[in-house]
Amino acid sequence: MSTVNEAPTVVQTAAPKKRVLVAMSGGVDSSVAAALLVDQGYEVVGVTMQVWDYSAAECSIEEGNGTCCSSVDVDDARSVADRLGFPFYVMNVEAKFQAFVIDPFIGAYLEGKTPLPCVNCNTYLKFDHLVRKMKELKCDYLATGHYAQVQNDANGRPQIVTSTDDWKDQTYFLFTTDPEVIPHLLFPIGHVRKPAVRAIAEERGLVNARKKDSTGICFVGDQGYDNFIEKHVAKDLLHKGVIRLYPTGEVLANHDGIHHYTYGQRKGLGIYRPEPVYVIKIDAKTNEVWVGDETHLYESKARVVKTHLIDNIEDGERLRVKIRFQHKGDWARVYRKDVGDSSELSIEFEEPVRAITPGQAAVLYRDQQLVGGGWIV
Amino acid sequence: MSARIYLDHNATTPISDDVRNKVPEWLEHWGNPSSIHGSGRGPKTLLREARETIAKFIGANALELIFTAGGSEANNLAVKGVFEAFQNTEHLARTGAKFRNHYLFSQVEHPSLIRTAEYLRSRGAKVDFVPVSRSGELDIDAYDRLLTDDTALVSIMIANNETGHLFPIRELSDRAHAHGALFHTDGVQAFGKIPVNVMDLGVDLASFAGHKFYSLKGAGVLFAKRGLHLESLIHGGGQERHRRGGTENALAIAALGLQCSKKDEVAPRADQMRVLRDHFEARVHAEIPFAVVTGELAQRLPNTSSLVIPGVDGEILLMNLDIKGFSVSTGAACSSGSPEPSPVLLAMGLTRNEAQSSLRVGLGWSTTREQIDAFTDALVETVVHLRSIGGFDSTTVVTETYVHG
Repeated sequence: MSTVNEAPTVVQTAAPKKRVLVAMSGGVDSSVAAALLVDQGYEVVGVTMQVWDYSAAECSIEEGNGTCCSSVDVDDARSVADRLGFPFYVMNVEAKFQAFVIDPFIGAYLEGKTPLPCVNCNTYLKFDHLVRKMKELKCDYLATGHYAQVQNDANGRPQIVTSTDDWKDQTYFLFTTDPEVIPHLLFPIGHVRKPAVRAIAEERGLVNARKKDSTGICFVGDQGYDNFIEKHVAKDLLHKGVIRLYPTGEVLANHDGIHHYTYGQRKGLGIYRPEPVYVIKIDAKTNEVWVGDETHLYESKARVVKTHLIDNIEDGERLRVKIRFQHKGDWARVYRKDVGDSSELSIEFEEPVRAITPGQAAVLYRDQQLVGGGWIV
Repeated sequence: MSARIYLDHNATTPISDDVRNKVPEWLEHWGNPSSIHGSGRGPKTLLREARETIAKFIGANALELIFTAGGSEANNLAVKGVFEAFQNTEHLARTGAKFRNHYLFSQVEHPSLIRTAEYLRSRGAKVDFVPVSRSGELDIDAYDRLLTDDTALVSIMIANNETGHLFPIRELSDRAHAHGALFHTDGVQAFGKIPVNVMDLGVDLASFAGHKFYSLKGAGVLFAKRGLHLESLIHGGGQERHRRGGTENALAIAALGLQCSKKDEVAPRADQMRVLRDHFEARVHAEIPFAVVTGELAQRLPNTSSLVIPGVDGEILLMNLDIKGFSVSTGAACSSGSPEPSPVLLAMGLTRNEAQSSLRVGLGWSTTREQIDAFTDALVETVVHLRSIGGFDSTTVVTETYVHG
């Protein structure tokens, strides 16, 4: 008989702690993710991927703001790991990053596209390279500071779903995730809103509690995409050309290379007309930029290639589709087209969508569930 | 978790209990050794006693020692000090010495020498590196070819920091002297692990560091043979007979001195480490198929074992062992996360793959058989695990034939 008012004796089970490899950028999100994992009783191992040689001064650390994965960020991640008391390692993946992220990024601009390098980084580094490291380090899980969640669907299969903080949701960048990997993923801050994440960091005295959010692309930094491209591409690949008005074809101005432009752009065109004009097409073959009335930016159809489906979809299924990170998503019918070995998607929006941009991803959602996506051409 | 087991004594050593116990007493001598008043006497005495003990430890005269902030500084001082002396025309005129401008190093020197060599080259010196073989042997024919009457200084280490390979310093210094060249040896890695006597080695300059010998960081020693002219790199208040300015680190120097009072302990400790190291390597051969001990049959430090384990990435192996509580290092050790494998192993002719599959185990005076067995168990288990993930294919392992000269 147990005595009333006496706390039950807690028997510590001898089950070994689950081990988690947490990818730490040095930013506040992944640091708090690590802190929460420690709280939850996991054995945490921290890792930062050194993706880019910042000593080459593209992103000067003297600027003091620290963008994603500069060496200041590595120090911040290490300091957080030390404070929270778990082992931390730096893994150099510069060669992979160059091949899978930087080179395609530059190539996309030369093709008149607007690239999305974060997806490649997730595909080839975080959820491939680090998954292997997870196994090699005998970890049960891989955790990141993404705003995303893993929840079981009706069939009990783990699926990626959007974060509680709609505004921060980063599932858009995760559409290439291998379904086999999902059961091993933890997104510890997916159910927390950003202000609360910062509050947790403050409370723990983590060095990066007040660090500014990384905006833009980590390896580009504050210099601007066009400067980055010009530094990394041979001069003779960047051609001057003309800007034409759609539909008349009238030449309105000259340009210094199509890499300066993106779909929907209005500012910085150097064109002064009574009616505002927007970039509506970038033609890499002719090296021409077309501008025109904003109405020409709206389209109802998108062709999507190199698709990746996390879950099956019915042909013609009505899904919410995001065509860029900040896009809230619009309803569309999604049709599957098998082309040889690879599959394509044809997306038909219920209402026209502004600036469907080649090089960006079209990402599919069934309610909050991330279903998959592909690349807009 | 049980206590961490430290097997990286080539990186640094723990602080001996004797040093720990004496530190509070030494801290009382906080005065400036150069002061004339009473507060300077204590630290001055510490320095003098340490200098005597250290000199005796390496077979030198006390006045032949220059205290530095560490091994890297001692190496820099030796090479740049000689180089600058040859640039000093007044000195050359006064002594009648002939100008020499050729500097010779082995390919596997510590970065503090490799980088210094490159610096000399940028200053207009002629610099050569003597190659080494796969088993770590210096190419003596190349050495003889490269030595000329223009050679100002040769610098070759006593023991390699990664493989533990021992170079025949006496033979090398005799040959250098036959050409009128000076001879420096980086003794940092050998210091305290094996008996070292600068007279027997026949060297003109030799570098050592306290933190590889169970004392504190921040104290190094350059032995510079009496009469050798060395330009100072740090000009200051005339310390170290005007060869190294700056107030001496009496605490770290005293600690180094205390360790050097254990001269008689070095040989038996070396034997003790060798037995454990050989036991470790025997188990590695028996339990890890295709593992190779780099330079196994060559003359080596008694505490060092440099392994190449095909099918295993050294970095991830190190991390696994670290998580299990063992401190070891890879040949590819680099704090900045450089992807480049060990230049030493590459210079020995190992492939990039082999160099990336390397692991360095460095035993110490306090290493026990139980520690070695616990470590070996963990190593074997981790190698099996990593090979199972990587899909290790033993047919891809090229078995090398070793030739020893």
